[in-house]
Amino acid sequence: MFKKLSFLFIIALVFTSCTKEETPLTVSPDDYNNAVDKVTEVIIHDIFSPPVASRIYSYSNIAAYEILAQNNPDYVTLAGQLTDLKEAPKPDAGAAVNYNVAALIAQMEIAKSLIFSEDRITEMRDSLYMKWEELNPTELAASKDYGLKVADHIKSWMDGDMYKQTRTMPKFSVNPDNPSRWQPTPPAYMDGIEPHWMKIRTFVIDSASQFKPIPPPEFSMEEGSEFYKQLMEVYDVRNEMTEEGDTSEKMGIAKFWDCNPYVSTHKGHLMFATKKITPGGHWIGIVKIVTKKANADLMETVYAYTKTSIALFDGFISCWDEKYRSNLIRPETLINQYIDDGWAPVLQTPPFPEYSSGHSVVSGAAAEVLTEIYGDNFQFDDDTETDYGLPVRSFDSFRKASEEAALSRLYGGIHYRAAIDEGLKQGRQLGQFVVQNLKMKTNTAQASN
Amino acid sequence: MNKAVVLILLGFVIFSCSKESELFTNPDIEKTGVSFQNTLTATEDMNILDYLYFYNGGGLAIGDINNDGLPDIYFSGNQVKNQLYLNKGGLQFENITETAGVAGNSDWNTGAVMADINGDGLLDIYVCAVVGLNGLDGNNELFINNGDGTFTERAAEYGLDLDTFSSSAAFLDYDLDGDLDIYILNHAVHTQTSFGKADLRYKRNAQTGDRLMRNDGDHFTDVSEEAGIYGGMNSYGLGIAVSDFNLDGYPDIYIGNDFHEDDYYYINNGDGTFTEALKEHFGHTSRFSMGSDVADLNHDGWPDLISLDMLPQDEEVLKSSEGDDNIQTQRLRTNRYGYHYQFTRNMLFINREGGDYQETALLSGVAATDWSWSALFGDYNQDMEQDLFISNGIPKRPNDLDYIKFVSSDQIQSKINNTHFIDQKALDMMPSGATHNYVYEGSSNLIFKDQSGKWITNDTIVSGATAYADLDNDGDLDLLTNNINAAPTFYINQINQKANYLKLKLSSKSKNNFAIGAKVYTYTNGIKQFKELYPVRGFQASSEPLIHFGLGQEKIVDSIRIIWPDNTSQKLTNIKANQTLKVNQEGTQLFNYANLKPKKELLFTAVTDSLGLDFVHKEDAYSDFDREKLIPYQIGDRGPAVAQGDLDGDGKEDLFFGGSKYITSQVYLKKEATYQRVSYPAILNDSINEEVTALIADFNQDGKNDLMTGTAGGDFFNRAKPLVDGLYLNKTEGFEKSTMPELFDNTSVLATYDYDNDGDLDVFAGTQTITGSFGKTPVSYLLENNKGSFRVAQEFKDLGMVTAAVWDDFNGDGVKDLIVVGEWMAPTFLKNKNGRLTKIDVGTEELNGLWQSIIPFDIDGDGDTDYIVGNWGENSKFKASEDAPMLMYYNDFDKNGQTETIVTTAKDGKYYPLMGLDALASQVVSLKKKYHSYKDFAGQTIEQILTEKQVKTSKKLEVNTLETGYLRNENGRFTFIPLGYDFQVAPVLSFCKFDFDNDGKDEILAAGNYFGVQPFHGRLDSFGGVLIKNADTFIPGDQIGLDFTQKSIRHLNILSLKGQKYLLATPNNAAIQLYKLKN
Repeated sequence: MFKKLSFLFIIALVFTSCTKEETPLTVSPDDYNNAVDKVTEVIIHDIFSPPVASRIYSYSNIAAYEILAQNNPDYVTLAGQLTDLKEAPKPDAGAAVNYNVAALIAQMEIAKSLIFSEDRITEMRDSLYMKWEELNPTELAASKDYGLKVADHIKSWMDGDMYKQTRTMPKFSVNPDNPSRWQPTPPAYMDGIEPHWMKIRTFVIDSASQFKPIPPPEFSMEEGSEFYKQLMEVYDVRNEMTEEGDTSEKMGIAKFWDCNPYVSTHKGHLMFATKKITPGGHWIGIVKIVTKKANADLMETVYAYTKTSIALFDGFISCWDEKYRSNLIRPETLINQYIDDGWAPVLQTPPFPEYSSGHSVVSGAAAEVLTEIYGDNFQFDDDTETDYGLPVRSFDSFRKASEEAALSRLYGGIHYRAAIDEGLKQGRQLGQFVVQNLKMKTNTAQASN
Repeated sequence: MNKAVVLILLGFVIFSCSKESELFTNPDIEKTGVSFQNTLTATEDMNILDYLYFYNGGGLAIGDINNDGLPDIYFSGNQVKNQLYLNKGGLQFENITETAGVAGNSDWNTGAVMADINGDGLLDIYVCAVVGLNGLDGNNELFINNGDGTFTERAAEYGLDLDTFSSSAAFLDYDLDGDLDIYILNHAVHTQTSFGKADLRYKRNAQTGDRLMRNDGDHFTDVSEEAGIYGGMNSYGLGIAVSDFNLDGYPDIYIGNDFHEDDYYYINNGDGTFTEALKEHFGHTSRFSMGSDVADLNHDGWPDLISLDMLPQDEEVLKSSEGDDNIQTQRLRTNRYGYHYQFTRNMLFINREGGDYQETALLSGVAATDWSWSALFGDYNQDMEQDLFISNGIPKRPNDLDYIKFVSSDQIQSKINNTHFIDQKALDMMPSGATHNYVYEGSSNLIFKDQSGKWITNDTIVSGATAYADLDNDGDLDLLTNNINAAPTFYINQINQKANYLKLKLSSKSKNNFAIGAKVYTYTNGIKQFKELYPVRGFQASSEPLIHFGLGQEKIVDSIRIIWPDNTSQKLTNIKANQTLKVNQEGTQLFNYANLKPKKELLFTAVTDSLGLDFVHKEDAYSDFDREKLIPYQIGDRGPAVAQGDLDGDGKEDLFFGGSKYITSQVYLKKEATYQRVSYPAILNDSINEEVTALIADFNQDGKNDLMTGTAGGDFFNRAKPLVDGLYLNKTEGFEKSTMPELFDNTSVLATYDYDNDGDLDVFAGTQTITGSFGKTPVSYLLENNKGSFRVAQEFKDLGMVTAAVWDDFNGDGVKDLIVVGEWMAPTFLKNKNGRLTKIDVGTEELNGLWQSIIPFDIDGDGDTDYIVGNWGENSKFKASEDAPMLMYYNDFDKNGQTETIVTTAKDGKYYPLMGLDALASQVVSLKKKYHSYKDFAGQTIEQILTEKQVKTSKKLEVNTLETGYLRNENGRFTFIPLGYDFQVAPVLSFCKFDFDNDGKDEILAAGNYFGVQPFHGRLDSFGGVLIKNADTFIPGDQIGLDFTQKSIRHLNILSLKGQKYLLATPNNAAIQLYKLKN
């Protein structure tokens, strides 16, 4: 018996001494980009709506940021700055934590908990684990331990944001008697999505209604009324575009910024969907492009993702607050009803009320944050949509891109002018507020930027 | 050794039994000589994406083209040439396509039908084609029979060479001029980008609009417009059934339209025009209407109708296929766009003597036969009852949810963008929809028994157009299907000599030689059977032009009445069974159709003058399905209250009607000859309340009647004031609101009685639900009266979801006891002993139902009191029996502080939720994490869907009967006796006791219907009311003057004005009805 044991002991010893030297683990900005891309991919597959997608991006990025910021004197924790967020737990003393690894693990863990198709994330995670295990099991163990600990901390904060409760709140009840009120739109006639999103806890803004836009022009089908004029503008632009053809600039802009996560197509009994990134997903894609162009390191990359996704998140809450307040009917419904029953917009009308334009609000907000980080004249080539068969578009600045994104909704035939102008205004004010109120870099770091 | 022999013998016996029970056999196709096969090849220009009806299949026509007594067969193919086979006898067929010259020249053929178009006694062939779509060339072709085995294509000459999107055609002599006209069914291809308004149907579209072509001798004239036939871009015509539905001598037409377009019900006006009257006669229809068929199923001499759809029966297919609309889309489609109610399932319409149809597919068991094309009624086992064959299947299921949501996006997207063509790889990802055909054994009580797999062998071939014929000339009906990518299937009937038959071949005097449109009534030993000769039936096909009757073991048909297409008639008597009777038209006596309509004694006559009662109940827009997404039915639509009693002290009985939320209730004072509406401020002030039950009685014993209201509405919650019941005391200066105990719940019933014998009226207040907590047992109360002030005397915490209650002395001790009924509970008897109510066991404990109403009545006339109890009925997706009760799981499944309910029913002993993944996950979000595809979810039982802990901790509510019936009093114990089929078609909500027929004895009038259900149930609208005379005598409401179908009748009251009695019927969300009584 004793002999056997000692034999085993010896073998174990031999094995241990055989282990090669542990190399420190590294996480590149591209590793992080890949993880974010994976989140985008799963969001598309699982068909999350734009507001819910913004929540997945933001919490997963915040988790990573909260770990990295602890290890970087130039950056400041978000604890105490985002509503109800407490300070993250510290690693155990003496643990061989690699903060970069822990950050990526936390990002993946939060994303996994927020999406449906978990296996798509665990597959990526496990292959990373396998690689890291090979290189440095000690560091991996400690970093994993810590990353998951922070993820737990973020999860318990996240759980208090009313998301769970809003899942089972009433569906949006359509008001059939009031002609100005939103009605489900063709072809799928889906229910209004996320009618309770204004109840979600905000990050930076005080309340969902803090940047409440002015009301839309008063509903009126009188010729000559402001509302009617704006309705006819949507109708006329569509007709102009039909004349100009599919290759016109307006058509290019409309399609480039479609960002509708679920476009359903009906061919008789055959139905299928074309799925795309959300408006938030598009701006997350822009973050990747510009951080790469700026040669940002991991910290700066995560910082840019985090701040942008925070602006997107609050932007959707602010926008959805107005959407279900003004509860305005879409141009497609009115044009079909009063002007031309065969009319269809260039883009499929998304399933929620019209005012204000979601893409305008969140693009406005995201552009302000990115302008703060990289300046007002940061040129970039946006290839986010190439996977969907769309060309690259180049922009001289974030704000110019956001203006085009907003205008695309008019060309797309899904928004009136007011929703675009006021939506952009709403988003910019909100973005500025985030810029002013969220201190993510220390003063010295800010100065050197 | 012995044992083995026994086993072998046993095996042999079993084997031969199963062999015997197979009604149809499938001969080897190669031995028949038939080599036709409708092979489909998807190409870049022609596939399911380019043409939505790519998989609809070819056509099929059977008829004797050479008058040798043997029916011949014509197949049409989509991409393959058509073929004609001569029947050589002995199930041997010879392909004579080439010599006959009937292969056809169109690129895409659809329906094929045979008829003698030119009146020369020879069957001609008409073949439909899809032309003009994606370069498809050709036209509808008419092959005129030359009588020598050859045909000449002469469509252009006759004006029938349509180059449209035709599906099928039917022959009928709509103007009774003695020749055959033709209705050409075209189908739309308008993509489903938006519904468009229903009135699109008024705008004629040349390619898709249906055509009515009048036979003007040697030429056909398009009379669609002047005849009132719709021809819009929305008419997805797939089904056509011709029949004299209203038995006025003129053929009518039912058109089944796919998708959101309504079906059309064309009533022939007899003057060359039709009136489309679907909404007037049908409460709802199938949604994706496909083929249809007509036959008299219940021996009443009126044609009944089935219209097919595509609801799967199999759980795995059902839960991974796109289902019905949600309720919001349904509202949008009906209210905003003007379409009728349509639901995704087969519909069986029972003709109520030309009035409203009663739709019973779920009750009859024929609602779900998957992707169904053709329906053919026929007495296949010759037992004198119509059986039903349904052909079935699609090569690819394009409505597969995983395909729609996940698979398609990855695979199709770029393909479509770049090439506008789905390649085979993308198509392969769509699951196959090859399902077996169905055959049902019919019965006179309208219950069909699924004999698939017994009468026929279940295959996995995709079958479309189907026709019947006596192919082997042995007297019974054989079947033939035209299949996709497979040889046709023969179903040869083996009933042979085991039961008797009679076949009729008719020959008329007119150019309509084959007497298309003739009606035949047979009377055999007291049993009436009725058939019409319209060979075009089912789907894209025509059957052999003969009339076939099964006769069971009867050897003689007592009499036969033939009504020829020109409405002259002749009678034959004492006809021997088992022969093919050739009948030539004789006699000139015009048939009087009034003879078919029994002289009914109308006990009720609708009153056009409202008598001042102009009350219209309007339900508010609140939908329980928006808030409690998994609730099995609405709770917020149970009003209005109706109470009758003298409110102004003039000795006349006034009326109170409750209002829904924010709509004021109404009081009508009875005057000499009319009623007059008055306003009482105290009552008006409470317009926010939704009153669902009310009492008029002198509660404070001041000699004046007061008003008590029970409030509900579903959308008030917690301690919302409108949930507290109302008491309005009658003071000299008007009504004054008094207080009631603060009980915040949805009251369903107030029932008053001086239970404690202290001289004042006490009240039982029954509670149906607690808002937001459907499934939780609410508390009901006994309220004791003390000078007009009420206090809770007794609480009933475990009664259940009460809907109705009645005070009645069931134990004969001289004081009234209380009987309570409700949903997910049994009728409960509470004995009143010294002012204390105690539940006692009388034998009803196991009778959990969705009870809605109760009334005491000595139905069996034995001197004691029985109780008629109204239940949900068996014509919805709810299914329950003693062996397989319906179970509702109640729990906070997602632990968010909000409880949910999941209703499950049993299929083959396993329990499945009625709702699909999306609906369940809208409330139990964790299911989206558990199931990443619909395929994973489909076929999962409730025990698999929930966690073990969830299953264990759930409260399970049970229903073990949904039948309406009565509790028969057997010396104080009660036995439940279900009532007949008529009572089970919809929920029975109200009763009224009165001597309606003036025979000195009271009867019970029952009414009901209910619409507060999810679209997958349909619309429970088919109950026309029944007058119950006694345990054996029931008279349907539509036979005695009542018009209750399509209305949800909540209350029945008897009014009396100037000695004239009236029936007041109060529906939910509609105007009241008034009928003058005979009595």
